[in-house]
Amino acid sequence: MLKNYFKIAFRNLLKNKVYSLINISGLAIGMAATILIGLWVADELGYNSYFENKATIAQIYQHQTSNGKVETGPAIPRPLEFEIRKDYSDNFEYVMMSSWTQPRYLKFGETNIYRTGNAMQEAAPDMLNLKIIEGVKDGLQEKNSIMLSQTTAKALFGSETAVGKIITINSEDDLAVTAVYEDIPENNTFNDTDYIIPWTYYVTTQPWIEASKDQWNNNSFQMFVQINENTNMEAVTSKIKHVKQKIYPESIENNPEYFLFPMDEWYLRGDFENGVQTGGRIENVWLFAIIGIFVLLLACINFVNLSTARSEKRATEVGIRKSIGSQRGQLIFQFLTESFLIVLLSFLFALGIVLLFLNGFNNLASKAIIFPWGNIQFWFLSLLFIVITSFLAGSYPALYLSSFNPVTVLKGTFKAGRFSALPRKVLVVAQFTISVALIIGTLVVMNQIQFSKNRPVGYNKEGLIQIPVMSSQFLGKHETMRTQFLASGGATSMTTMSSPTTDVWSNRGGYTWDGKPEGFQEDLAYTTVNYDFVKTLGLNIKEGRGFSREFATDSNAVILNETAVEYMQIQNPIGKYIRDSDTENPIPPMKIIGVVEDMIMQSPYSPVKQSMYAFGINRNIAYYNLRLNPNKSISENLTLIEDVFKTNFPSTPFDYQFVDEEYGKKFRSEERTASLARVFTALAIFISCLGLFGLAAFVAEQRTKEIGVRKVLGASISQLWLLLSRDFITLVVVALLVASPIAYYVMTQWLQKFSYRTTVGWEVIAIACLGALIITLITVSFQAIKAAISNPVKSLRTE
Amino acid sequence: MIQITDLEKFYKTEEVQTIALNKLSFGVKEGEFVAIMGPSGCGKSTLLNILGLLDDPDGGSFKFNGTEVAGYNERKRSELRKHNIGFVFQSFNLIDELTVFENVELPLIYTGVKPAERKKQVEAVLEKMQIMHRRNHFPQQLSGGQQQRVAVARAVVNKPKLILADEPTGNLDSTNGNEVMDLLIDLNEAGTTIIMVTHSEHDAKYSHRIIRMMDGQKVTENVLEM
Repeated sequence: MLKNYFKIAFRNLLKNKVYSLINISGLAIGMAATILIGLWVADELGYNSYFENKATIAQIYQHQTSNGKVETGPAIPRPLEFEIRKDYSDNFEYVMMSSWTQPRYLKFGETNIYRTGNAMQEAAPDMLNLKIIEGVKDGLQEKNSIMLSQTTAKALFGSETAVGKIITINSEDDLAVTAVYEDIPENNTFNDTDYIIPWTYYVTTQPWIEASKDQWNNNSFQMFVQINENTNMEAVTSKIKHVKQKIYPESIENNPEYFLFPMDEWYLRGDFENGVQTGGRIENVWLFAIIGIFVLLLACINFVNLSTARSEKRATEVGIRKSIGSQRGQLIFQFLTESFLIVLLSFLFALGIVLLFLNGFNNLASKAIIFPWGNIQFWFLSLLFIVITSFLAGSYPALYLSSFNPVTVLKGTFKAGRFSALPRKVLVVAQFTISVALIIGTLVVMNQIQFSKNRPVGYNKEGLIQIPVMSSQFLGKHETMRTQFLASGGATSMTTMSSPTTDVWSNRGGYTWDGKPEGFQEDLAYTTVNYDFVKTLGLNIKEGRGFSREFATDSNAVILNETAVEYMQIQNPIGKYIRDSDTENPIPPMKIIGVVEDMIMQSPYSPVKQSMYAFGINRNIAYYNLRLNPNKSISENLTLIEDVFKTNFPSTPFDYQFVDEEYGKKFRSEERTASLARVFTALAIFISCLGLFGLAAFVAEQRTKEIGVRKVLGASISQLWLLLSRDFITLVVVALLVASPIAYYVMTQWLQKFSYRTTVGWEVIAIACLGALIITLITVSFQAIKAAISNPVKSLRTE
Repeated sequence: MIQITDLEKFYKTEEVQTIALNKLSFGVKEGEFVAIMGPSGCGKSTLLNILGLLDDPDGGSFKFNGTEVAGYNERKRSELRKHNIGFVFQSFNLIDELTVFENVELPLIYTGVKPAERKKQVEAVLEKMQIMHRRNHFPQQLSGGQQQRVAVARAVVNKPKLILADEPTGNLDSTNGNEVMDLLIDLNEAGTTIIMVTHSEHDAKYSHRIIRMMDGQKVTENVLEM
């Protein structure tokens, strides 16, 4: 019986090549898109699965309230560690302090590389399940040791043994390699931890870290824990929640609370708003999962429409089978078998498409997904996917076709009723609703990115570079370097900063000033800068002036941005002082010498934070910022600058960043979303048009006789074209009317997450609608015109 | 074998109700060959559909082998049908995607006959209908007469007790038509009951008895001398 079904199905496929092609290619593309999205979703959901202890690992996070607003973040003070170890250690398998991931120079012989890594406590290799390739697992016991990732070891030593070799870090200290561990794969936290140095070493490298060991208000470190098997995150959180307030009562005004933020949620649910977890990347995962389902649905709709449209052709067969004694159930089964066969075939093509485009998709999505050939779960899910798709595509046609009354179909008088095309019309409307909504959505995402890119940044980011100088070899050298850089002619101006131009690494409070409102708890973005800060970056001075060598007192001066002036409510700020609220051991008062226009350092989607630019040198220099000479080409400038750099630091790699490129990186995540959305929208439109093309062909065929008669009676080609296209255009117009408000609503909601945002303009909707109409017209016209220009004699003779 | 009493069937459209069968009664004995004649729209096809258990009457009684089958549900009707009744249609109604062999095999598949046994039976019937040499052809590759012979082969492969033929020669020329009628006679002589709807007086003469219908009622009934 099954053989008979397959035979019929197969012969039908061969007989109706155009329809088979439309069905199979549509389904194959739809399934391929769904598989790719599925792999992407699995990759996202599987983030951090490299860590076997994932379920019990957490990072300690802190809520702090200032001016009634709760800020949440991973930065914690050092004394918390001692308190946790002293009173709460029985809750934890491991407690591990860590620094932030930051770049350092690693030098062995003539090889000097610049890599990011962390300082961590001894428990790190066990807690993170590092796979040791060479050396010992507890490689962080000795203060002067270092563990390297496989790639880092290879870059330093090539194929030689790494363990036992001595490398120089930041040209400061010699560390012995104790172990080489397998690289932490891409889709995991710590994938940029190219080496680990001992915490005991780290805390002695800089005086401020040393000093921070009993500073409860210095939130500059990270703490990771692995809880015991017999407890849970909530229980531990409730125990440690108020540790700071207990030990350090001064902090109570900020209501600091600690909690365990589970590793499971780091990547996908990392957003907090006013102390409440609000989601994060998981929204993107959902978004794409839904798009994937939609694309598949579109392909299934094609299948449904083409099968039911062509039902008259199958009607006789149904009648005969019924008259011979087939039961309806058997017919339903037969048609489902048929759709299963087609879906299976499409799946095979889909696999081919996926394999062909996986690389491109990885580039687009910035992923490293490998096709899971050996994964049984994947194949099981694929089978399930095929079965579900078969049902999705095949059940309505099966029910519809098997319902035919043998008496009417065999009499030859069978004509699908007046309303039999209605479900088809509804489905076409649904298809185009989805497509148009996707078009509008994609356009809005692209608009938002463009809108934010066009936002004035407040400084001149073109022709500006920054050179990271975070190691002691650069200490005290900035004036000499400046003189030489300017003398070389490669740069026209130089300043230094304690953070990159495109980020803020420090926030401060605890100041007083004249007119400070009672109980106001300020939180200011804090960056130290140098002479020529305003000139080099090309900032716009609103009031006062920049730092100048002509005023000796400028070493204790600050510049504020406009938002800070408003935020602090300072009237006539120039000449006023900002003082330390710590009266026992205060830092000297800082005189406000200038106010600059807001400069975007953080998110281009958010308002600029109130910022303070203080004068600071030596340990406070993280970057040299150079304005390139506009009269020379960029490459000339860079050669000149590199020469100066190499003369002074011959063994240090010359590393630099273009500020405009760094700024551009802020849009990457959204741009990635946009380009993925573009691809899937294009696929959705293509699949919908494929279906429409098939339907148009069917309608043209069905109305051949009518067209012949009309032609004989004098209808022109354009009249016939209109006649055949009108119905489809009507459906698409209905879809536009449905899609526009839905897309408008959804995208307006989406935009809410950006405080600097565009609107869903009528132009966007107009462009999407016009685009959809034009595409429809082209798709349908091909068939309509073909039918309209055919010779009527032929079509009438067939009767 | 068949006894219908006061059989009624109505067709309703939005405005009018048409009476297709109006209290029709007659019986058919086992082994009989009955021809049903009448003008278009007199209810012949409706009657045949009801007799073939493809359609359900709106009133009256229909006894098949002594069992009342009026009011049977679709499942029961199809069960009874596939074991007892074969159809021959004016337009042959072969499945275009299946070969001659596969078309004839179809009823055996639905009655659950094993493949080897199916092959034997199909080949036997194809032999008998003299179209064995066309077994691997598709219907479009055959002449009308050949197609109808395949259709007859399909109708009889299950060895049904009753064959319902709806203008079996309507689409054939006289030579092919006579061949098909000869086939039906052979089957009848071998014991199969045949009920045939026809417009052709010529064909009707092959039968034992002619029932003439008009407006859903029996008007005359003449028994023919053999």
